[in-house]
Amino acid sequence: MINRLKSINWYRLNRSLHRDFGYFCIGFVLIYAISGIAVNHRDDWNPNFYVARDTIATPQVNWDTVNDNVLIQQVLEQVDGQFEVKASYWQSPSQFKVFLENDGNLSLNLSQNTIVFERIKARPVFQAFNRLHLNETHKSWIIVSDIFAGLLIFLALSALFMVKGKYSPWRKKSLWIIAGFVIPGVYIFI
Amino acid sequence: MKTSIAKLLTFTLFFAAASAQAKDLHFGDAVDKNKLIKISTLMEKPDDYLSSPVTIEGTVVGVCQKRGCWMSIASDKRFQNLRIKVNDGDMVFPMTAKGSKAFATGMLTKNQLTLSESKRLLAHRAQKNGEAFDEASVKQAIATYQLVPTGVTILD
Repeated sequence: MINRLKSINWYRLNRSLHRDFGYFCIGFVLIYAISGIAVNHRDDWNPNFYVARDTIATPQVNWDTVNDNVLIQQVLEQVDGQFEVKASYWQSPSQFKVFLENDGNLSLNLSQNTIVFERIKARPVFQAFNRLHLNETHKSWIIVSDIFAGLLIFLALSALFMVKGKYSPWRKKSLWIIAGFVIPGVYIFI
Repeated sequence: MKTSIAKLLTFTLFFAAASAQAKDLHFGDAVDKNKLIKISTLMEKPDDYLSSPVTIEGTVVGVCQKRGCWMSIASDKRFQNLRIKVNDGDMVFPMTAKGSKAFATGMLTKNQLTLSESKRLLAHRAQKNGEAFDEASVKQAIATYQLVPTGVTILD
C-alpha cells in the first residue's frame, strides 16, 4: 500500500485534477461572476426585471367610480391591444390600478386624466443566473453549489503546487498570494 | 454519439419546459392560514396584534423595484394596504407578483414617527396619490406598521 502511494506522481496528479476541475468550473464561475456583478449594482438597476412606463393622456371621460368592472373596461378602451385582467385596486380616491396578465399594469389618475402603462419584463439570462447565485431554485442546488465551492477551494490550494522553480508561489510570486489576502483584509477593517 | 446528444437535448428540453411552468411561489416557512386575519381588522387596532404572529392575505399592489425586499398587500378596505418587509436578501419578491394574490405570516411591527417625520411621510403619500396636503393640519405624530414575514406564498 505504502509502495503504491509512493509510486503515484503527486505533482502530475495535482496538475491533472487542477486542469479537469478547472474546465468543469468554467460554466459555474461565469454564472456566479456575471450574476455577482449584476447583483452588486442593484442600487442602480434591477438585475432581474426592467420596467417600461408610458403615459397616455386620455380624453375627458365620465369615469365610473362606483362600478369597478365598468371602470376597468373604460380604462382598457384607452389602451391599444387585448388584455386579460388579473386584479384591480383603488390606491386613493383619484388613483385606480388595473393589473394585467403578462406582467403589466395600468394606473388611472382620475384628476389628471392620464393612464400610466407599466410593463414589467424579465431579463431572462440575468434572472436565471441570479436565481442560481441566490439559491432561489431547487433545494438540491445547494448541494451542487457546495460541491462547486469545494472545487474552488481545491483549485486555490492545488494552484500552490502547480509550478516548480523560479515562478513557483513560494518565491517572488508569493507577493500575488499575499495581495489576495491583504486586499480583502483591508476592507474588513476600514 | 448522436443518440447520446439527442437524449441529452430531450432531457434538457423536458427539464426546461417543466421549470418554465407557472407555479405558486413560496418564501421562508410555510404560511399559517389558521392565523388569518383581515388587513382592515388588523389596522383598526394594530397595537393589539404586535405580540403574536398573524397571517394576512390580499392582492400584491406594489413591489420593491430594486431589491424585491418589500411588497404592499391591498387591504379588503378601499385605499388601504399593508407593507411586508424583509431584510435585503432574506426573500426577494419578484416584480411580476403585482396583481397576484399573496399570503404572508409574520409579526406586525410598529414604527413611531416624530411629528416632523409624520409630516414628511404624509406629504409624500399625498403627493404620490395626487392629493392636496397642508402640513399645518398635522398636529400629532403618527406610527407606521409593517409585517415582517417568516413565510410568504404568492399564488399564480
